[in-house]
Amino acid sequence: MVVDAFRNALDDSGLQKSDVDGIIINIGTPLGVDYDQVAEGLGLDILMADETWTHGRQLAGVLAHAAMAVDSGLANVVACVCAINWARGGTVGSPGQNQDTREIGGAHFESPAYGMASPGGAFALATRTYFDRYGASSEDLARVAVTIRHHASLNPLAVRQDEITVADHQASTLICEPLRLLDYCQTTGGGCVVLVARADMARDCRKPPVFLSGFQGMRAGRREATGARPGLGIHQQSLAEPVPNPRDLKIYQEAGIEQSAVDALYTYDAMSPAVWMALERFGFCAEGDAWQFTNDGHIGLGGSLPVNTNGGLLSETHVSSWNHICEIVRQLRDECGERQVENAEVIQWATNRGDSVIFRK
Amino acid sequence: MSSVKPSPTISDYNRPFYKYAGEHELRLQKCDDCGDFWAPPGPVCVNCLSTNYTWTQVAGKGTLASWVIFHKVYYPEFAEEAPYNVGLIELAEGPRLLTNIVGAEAGSLERGMQLVVTFEDRPDCVVPQFTPV
Repeated sequence: MVVDAFRNALDDSGLQKSDVDGIIINIGTPLGVDYDQVAEGLGLDILMADETWTHGRQLAGVLAHAAMAVDSGLANVVACVCAINWARGGTVGSPGQNQDTREIGGAHFESPAYGMASPGGAFALATRTYFDRYGASSEDLARVAVTIRHHASLNPLAVRQDEITVADHQASTLICEPLRLLDYCQTTGGGCVVLVARADMARDCRKPPVFLSGFQGMRAGRREATGARPGLGIHQQSLAEPVPNPRDLKIYQEAGIEQSAVDALYTYDAMSPAVWMALERFGFCAEGDAWQFTNDGHIGLGGSLPVNTNGGLLSETHVSSWNHICEIVRQLRDECGERQVENAEVIQWATNRGDSVIFRK
Repeated sequence: MSSVKPSPTISDYNRPFYKYAGEHELRLQKCDDCGDFWAPPGPVCVNCLSTNYTWTQVAGKGTLASWVIFHKVYYPEFAEEAPYNVGLIELAEGPRLLTNIVGAEAGSLERGMQLVVTFEDRPDCVVPQFTPV
């Protein structure tokens, strides 16, 4: 998968293998491959190599690091690599996975002694609270999965392209109540390579470049919890937190734009409620209104803020959202055909964990 | 297939928690300097970084902050109990614990319901659980 993705990235950019002198791996073994294997296996001559924790949260940090590396002269072209085969770990959440070696305070509150298998469990905890506090229901949540599946139906790369309905969602198996099968992503895997280069080099590439114009890091601490946004009271979160918190909106200042300039949003959607959490965290709607915002059609194609037009992790597949970044690039180059967001010029990556990147044409 | 549920992974930080659970006592770390309780167990007070703390018995009372019901069986030892719940309990002292709620029908669980600690004696360990008042 790394080989295919790397070849495709070189073809797309017109760069040579020898131009790539930086590499950052997001998710190495056991789900993927490590930086040294990739560098050796592809015959690269790397001046700056790095690798993140084996988890799907570091995308914005990896892109920011790559941008800083080319900006500071550590490298000219950094290949950001995510290639994962979920089958290597068996069913996600099953015993013996690396996640459950860090109980409570670990990746997603794994706690085998209590039967807490995750990450679905963590998202389900947040979803239950969300339903209770804001009056939403599983039928409302279905609209997220249905909308994003419709997007996938327009994407030939998507693993699931068959349309689904709210009734299909309601008839799907309860996995970790209140979440159903169709609230869960596709854990097939895949490979993505994103090349980050100096702007002057990128301008000379085969296709029009996409510019990274603002970053915000992943937040961590007791305000944060897997599956939630701050202020939901999950794990040790305080309930007394403004939603959105103004400090999370600094990304717009970083990029020099107003939020209203954002033409589409891409977010980590391993579970459908993550979309609601991100919409509220970043103030695209008021606290507790994301389900109505979704029901009103805003997140679909043709809506005010199309979300995950590739079909997301929910329906395209789970490459830790690097597949979302590939879609952002395609959208900003008007390559998306039926699922093209009209006049897309500014696209935001933003998740329930507070990390964000602004991409511009 | 063993029917013994998975044991907690014991670390230097949580060892006392489960030792006291073995004596049917629910104890948390309480800072000797600032008085805060915290969870999950850790090396220092999360408020003031003090290493002076005492494993202090708590009232064992709390409310249900959230809960889930596992229908899919990830851990085969839970197959007989499925569907089973996992609840997030907010203790009267503040910290929240992830545990099971026993002695309650799935349909009777409600956010904010009052719970008290109970202990499940397993062949190789004792784990705190909660039950409706």
